[in-house]
Amino acid sequence: MKNPYQPIPTKILNVIEETPNIRTFVLKPEQEIPFLAGQFVELTIPGFGEAPFTPSSSHFEREVLEMTIMRVGRATGALFTKKPGDLLGIRGPYGRPYPLQEFEGRDIYIVGGGVGLAPLRALLLALVHDINKYGRIFLRYGARTPKDIVYKKQLKEWEKIKKVDIELSVDSADEPWERKVGVVTCLMDEIPCDVKKSVAVVCGPPIMMKFVTKKLLDAGFPGKSIYLSMEMNMSCGLGQCGHCRLGPYFTCKDGPVLTWEQIKDIEEPFL
Amino acid sequence: MTIHFLPNERRINWLTRLAGGHNLFLPFKVNSSVHWVRFDKGNFDINALALKEIRAAEPIKPFLFSPRERVALFPEPLEEPAAETPALLFGVKGCDLRGLAVHKIMFQEGEFADPFYSKRLKETILIGADCPEPKDSCFCNLVGLKPYVVEGVDLVVSVIDEGWLVEVLSEKGAKLIAGEDWRPASENQIDKRNAQRQEAEAVLQRRNPKPLNPNLPQAIAEKTNDDKFWAEAAQDCVECFGCLMTCPTCFCFLLYDQAKGDKVERTRVWDACYMAMYARVGGGANPRAKFLKRFINRFHCKFMHGKNLHGFYFCSGCGRCFTACMGKIDIRNIIGRL
Repeated sequence: MKNPYQPIPTKILNVIEETPNIRTFVLKPEQEIPFLAGQFVELTIPGFGEAPFTPSSSHFEREVLEMTIMRVGRATGALFTKKPGDLLGIRGPYGRPYPLQEFEGRDIYIVGGGVGLAPLRALLLALVHDINKYGRIFLRYGARTPKDIVYKKQLKEWEKIKKVDIELSVDSADEPWERKVGVVTCLMDEIPCDVKKSVAVVCGPPIMMKFVTKKLLDAGFPGKSIYLSMEMNMSCGLGQCGHCRLGPYFTCKDGPVLTWEQIKDIEEPFL
Repeated sequence: MTIHFLPNERRINWLTRLAGGHNLFLPFKVNSSVHWVRFDKGNFDINALALKEIRAAEPIKPFLFSPRERVALFPEPLEEPAAETPALLFGVKGCDLRGLAVHKIMFQEGEFADPFYSKRLKETILIGADCPEPKDSCFCNLVGLKPYVVEGVDLVVSVIDEGWLVEVLSEKGAKLIAGEDWRPASENQIDKRNAQRQEAEAVLQRRNPKPLNPNLPQAIAEKTNDDKFWAEAAQDCVECFGCLMTCPTCFCFLLYDQAKGDKVERTRVWDACYMAMYARVGGGANPRAKFLKRFINRFHCKFMHGKNLHGFYFCSGCGRCFTACMGKIDIRNIIGRL
């Protein structure tokens, strides 16, 4: 009997503190989790239940899985008490990944906010792995304050890559900050790619996704070229339990990556 | 497929034989309503057998989709359960089979077939029964069903005065009637059955004469933001969830984990989309925090998405939802106005 509810035992190898309330957990599952960038897994925190998270590591790295997680509630609170050597469980991968084949030959305009950079990191790493297949890669990333920026070291590394263009902003700078101050849309006044031939990828808090999407549409991106990571209550991951219903979709099965074209008629798609 | 006749005096023999190899459940009149009861030869009153009555108070859903079930253990996996004696549900009505059709889509047709549901379905034999006496609560005719069964079961039983007509719909069904004193149904008996079926359809037509809007999914979509309409429709709802818990087509479930010593047990229980916390995400946001949104969601699920995506309403017309409703909300009055 292949039991889709059975988690795979997974050891925590390392815990990296990214910000005061965001950590990256480096995990080693007993079996390979063959995810693709954009897909998610259900992480079991023993005794506390499951929660959906999207791996932030490269999908070309199969042995170890990284997940960057913000402490927001009971399950993540319990997760934050865990340390290297502790055991977790993983089910998955679930959902639909970023359609990288459709991205080939096109410029990719990525907008992230806060911990929303986690799934985008998996995407960036996949794109960089085959960088000659794609056009230019633009990353526009915003956090609340400089302290809340995740992957600080990696951002500096990515900036050095030819064809990768990164701009950062913070809502407010409470420490020396030489870059933009303002919500992430302040980085979008000039979009340096041909919007009709590019794709846009967005992940972040719902309110940020809402306004970024509006900005992208105003700039002329077609709805079918705007890829959004939708957040709903993805519970079973199998498209069966009903909890993650978003209009006609179950986000666990049909998402979490959905285009604006797919969801534009849904009433208030952003939570 | 062939139709056979079993005289009244041989019914108990057949049921006893069926019970020999299966856990046999039949619809029985208990006080004033019909319930699924396990066959017990020593305590069996053929007069309480409610084959001609409408569906039982409870759907067949719990036989296949358990209301509460352990689905995983951690870190050691769940052991393969021992084979059970197959269940035989005798007298399943067409409305309950609509529930089965929905659950087959949800639990078997996706990328991840549910092994618990699939195993139970494989080990369950279904014998359908005509529904010759529709009641006020019945509206299967509005959702594209008939008051009799033509597919999805192994045998179909039709009650006539002198006995049972049994139509064979599968090889499994043919085996169930082998070895008994059967004879082919006569033309006259089949005519009686057909007349009975026609009369049942006529009764339903008289009770529910106005068909649903043929563009009901579109009508619901257009009405989604009409809070006045939905507030009026939902005004008597006391959020008891009785409608959802008795619905044969509802499929929602909740997974929860409990620590048991050094192990974790994962349990699946039925859930209801009317519950306030149903769609809430980890960070606390809730797309349907207001009850009215959850009320509308039910109509989206059953009458819009089901039809748009799979070609039929995720509603069986069984009427259990308003039979169970404390606020006496008749779903027909709502969908009939769309």
